[in-house]
Amino acid sequence: MKKYWIPLLLLLFIAADIFLGSVKLPFHQIWSSVWGGEAPDYVNKIVWNFRFPKMITALLSGMALAVCGVQMQTLFRNPLADPYILGISSGAGLGVALFTMGFSAFGLNSLIPDAVADLGMASAAWIGALAMTFIIMAASQRLKSNMSLLILGIMAGSAGSALIGLLQYLSNAPALKMYVLWTMGSFGNVTGSRLLIMALLCLVGFTISFYNIKDLNVLLMGEQYAHSLGIRLNRVRNRIFIATALLAGSVTAFCGPIGFIGIAVPHLARMIFRNANHRVLIPASGLIGALLMLSADILSQMPGSQNTLPVNTVAALLGIPVIIYVIFQNKAIQE
Amino acid sequence: MSKYLDIKDLSIGYRKQGPVFSGISVRAVSGSLIGLLGPNGIGKSTLLRTMAGLQSALSGSVQWSETLPGELRISAFVPSQSPRAAHFSVEDTVGTGRYRYTNWLGIENEEGKQTVARAMERTGISHLAGRYSADLSDGEFQRVAIARALVQDTPLIILDEPTAFLDIANKRSTGRLLRLLAGEEDKCIIFSTHDLTLAMEYCHQLWIMTRSGEFRTGTPSALADNGALEILYYE
Repeated sequence: MKKYWIPLLLLLFIAADIFLGSVKLPFHQIWSSVWGGEAPDYVNKIVWNFRFPKMITALLSGMALAVCGVQMQTLFRNPLADPYILGISSGAGLGVALFTMGFSAFGLNSLIPDAVADLGMASAAWIGALAMTFIIMAASQRLKSNMSLLILGIMAGSAGSALIGLLQYLSNAPALKMYVLWTMGSFGNVTGSRLLIMALLCLVGFTISFYNIKDLNVLLMGEQYAHSLGIRLNRVRNRIFIATALLAGSVTAFCGPIGFIGIAVPHLARMIFRNANHRVLIPASGLIGALLMLSADILSQMPGSQNTLPVNTVAALLGIPVIIYVIFQNKAIQE
Repeated sequence: MSKYLDIKDLSIGYRKQGPVFSGISVRAVSGSLIGLLGPNGIGKSTLLRTMAGLQSALSGSVQWSETLPGELRISAFVPSQSPRAAHFSVEDTVGTGRYRYTNWLGIENEEGKQTVARAMERTGISHLAGRYSADLSDGEFQRVAIARALVQDTPLIILDEPTAFLDIANKRSTGRLLRLLAGEEDKCIIFSTHDLTLAMEYCHQLWIMTRSGEFRTGTPSALADNGALEILYYE
């Protein structure tokens, strides 16, 4: 059973993401702009400076979150594990919260100019995600079982959220709004050098993930068996964490925390491809993740209307039904 | 000269709690099937795990008589219960045992593919190759786990209660298979069990751990004659 329709569908969605948007443009103008022909200046600008980067960002984010989701679900033998299970999103959130609201909480809100604020937010999120990963990695050296590690990750995440709550309580309205906007997610702000940075980080993350494939397959056989093969579980775990920090951390830093895609996609991939071998599952999840995220992006632009929706909301509304459907379909999860 | 496993004055257990069992000295030659018997909690699993290199010995040594090339391990381990992944084929499951031999993506060369095919043939699971391991019966999956250990190509195979969850027919066929593999593949196979009848019927040698701290060894018939097996019933 070859799944040719998935790459074809992906091409279709890529095209749709370029052609549809909140600004209605004539089809033939976009067409000629895409192929380098004559097109009005504003069309060229919208297509090349806005829609193309946004499409690539959505594509990368979908792939990255799905590939992380697979690794977390295998490592923790838990169908509900997602890229954020180790507290990466609240780490990133805490970074952003400190950046946006920390100053206002101490009465220093007018100190940051807007341009710095934008890039600063991404860096703060990235540092937060990375710091959280390092804390978990350090703790994991002392924790043998993955179950305790899972609990630790959830606790670290909750601690982060609690601190964020505290900052929210103390901060003023504009800073709070800035933070809340970040949590809603957006692909629109990732252009130029930022897109390049995100793409490079993701590329490294994907490479490590591919290198993890062999170990992930053995992890499916249980930790005890993996250990008996002479695999150093700590090393494997650290490699998985680093891939997750690079992928989920970067996506979260640049686009905000985008939930549910990371849980839903690996299940969809298993259901469609019927093969849990990570040599198939990882690329398959990447493909389907890209598909789902592109459709979330298309929907969030609400083609034909002047409004746009926050991408996080759309991703959740798309992802949650998928998860519920998979649970009803899949005996293995119910058991 | 036949090859053998040499256990010298081994003390097993955990550093913090102290030794579980001490003074184990025994040899196991390749080509033999060995049954490890003893009451619950005596340390059978700890001994097996120590031999498999899953935990370190408190003192003493576990060595194979000849050095193996490279970083190859002396033993393959079959846990008492392995998790079974959904949508993961029997062939891929057996293939994970080739971890040390495959390339970075886990892809096999021709020789490796043949090793896997041969192990599945030897354990009688060739016809299951394309099935998902989660869909197998306990008896079928035990054979998959044994095939997975076989492809590791180690001189020693260690199994923790391989027959615990099997019905009578599957217990016997697993015993028969292990005995056959020990002889024909020239491996030393050691397994723990509570099934004395099974151990008596198929093992070349029995190791018995007693509550009084003795480590008795011998052929099933010799142990039966000198009354050593009685201990298992009454203590």
